[in-house]
Amino acid sequence: MDIIPWDLSIIPQKFFLFASAATYTLQITFFGILMGLLIGLVVALGRLSEKKFLSSISRAYIFLIRGTPLLVQLFIVYYGLTSIVTIDPIPSAVIALGVHNGAYIAEIFRGSIQSIHYGQMEAARSIGMTHAKAMRRIILPQAFKRAVPSLGNQLIIALKDSSLASTIAVPELMLKGRQMGSSTFMYMEMFIIVGIWYLIMTSVLSFVMHRIEERLKVSDRD
Amino acid sequence: MSDPDAPIVRIEGLCKWYGELEVLKNIDLEVKRGEVVVVIGASGSGKSTLLRCINFLEKTQKGKIYISGKRIKHNEKELNKTRQELGMVFQHFNLFPHMTVAGNVMEGLVQVKKMPKDKARKKAEVLLERVGLLEKADVYPAMLSGGQKQRVAIARALAMEPKVMLFDEPTSALDPELVGEVLTVMTKLAKEGMTMLVVTHEMWFAKEVADRVIFMDDGIILEEATPEKMFSAPENERTLAFLKQILPPSSEE
Repeated sequence: MDIIPWDLSIIPQKFFLFASAATYTLQITFFGILMGLLIGLVVALGRLSEKKFLSSISRAYIFLIRGTPLLVQLFIVYYGLTSIVTIDPIPSAVIALGVHNGAYIAEIFRGSIQSIHYGQMEAARSIGMTHAKAMRRIILPQAFKRAVPSLGNQLIIALKDSSLASTIAVPELMLKGRQMGSSTFMYMEMFIIVGIWYLIMTSVLSFVMHRIEERLKVSDRD
Repeated sequence: MSDPDAPIVRIEGLCKWYGELEVLKNIDLEVKRGEVVVVIGASGSGKSTLLRCINFLEKTQKGKIYISGKRIKHNEKELNKTRQELGMVFQHFNLFPHMTVAGNVMEGLVQVKKMPKDKARKKAEVLLERVGLLEKADVYPAMLSGGQKQRVAIARALAMEPKVMLFDEPTSALDPELVGEVLTVMTKLAKEGMTMLVVTHEMWFAKEVADRVIFMDDGIILEEATPEKMFSAPENERTLAFLKQILPPSSEE
């Protein structure tokens, strides 16, 4: 009998069979986060708007999305909406991830926009900029820079959360692991492979985010 | 509409409350073309608020503000135009940290005045030369001293070719040894004929450069005089008490 009941040598053998599943994971994460960034920016600006109507909707959106599990949101998009419109698994996963992350990213952006000293807005207005232009040229570039560490964090969370897409038959890493497990009965080995793939991807993402942070530091040097 | 002979700034019956607190009480003030008016007073007397009301960074509740004879209303579109005519220099500089020094000066020219970039750059260089910082054109504000930052802020405001420069305690946030370089630039501006309204604690500047000194106390203009008169024989007791507090005892010349 072996000391451990698993055949770890199978891991390198089967490792690259998961590559195409990993591309699905990356794909839904990438487009989900992209959508999340757009929603997040709009909702953050809405939340900070002086117009009661806009800030109320934004607040309600954040309340609903942050207060319910991603899995519920995913099922609502994929199963719940079928009576109105049928959305394929991959777009469903992207939409659910985008809507979900949009709420968190909105709060990240709101915090970083509010952290910019009001003197910046005043200085911009004092040279005749409109509020919108001052936001775009002066406030948002600085706020975005401050948001980068938190956005990196959110990106990694989103990458791991994308595993929930396995429940609606997106052929991503987690689903691949389950399929390989049930066909070989080597669940431990297969899920270790899945874990390693996630680790590699999150490591690369952290490294990239770190590089972006460093690059954005040019104007801080003193 | 805009009358060339009208005072650059005219304020009539300006009132401002923060909630219950009345910070400006029925202020009347005029700044003529080419005039340098210095506003002094204890902190909390409303002098900074007055300055900030002129370009509507603060909302006012009552009163009228005229720039070159034209009544300014609190209307976004109009304000964006009017603010270009009012150069503002802040206590804390408020430079844009994500842009280089030249970028700061060019920003209004390119974004607001729609000037082509190369032309704006040339203009920025001329202005930076004027405040003695041409060699810093391509560095970021984080690398500058406070005095240098404030001089860039002055150049940024000048770029818009304002009719009047408003200075809100421009040297109050500076280390003492850096005050001089900023005052020198301001003095030069005044000599060149710039219309200026300056809130400051630098009595030297008030004495040497101002055409008129205004003493504010508790939201009103208590006294208004030439610097000679204000500093040698103020009429009001409170003015005298204030000046005694801030001027060193040996300064009686």
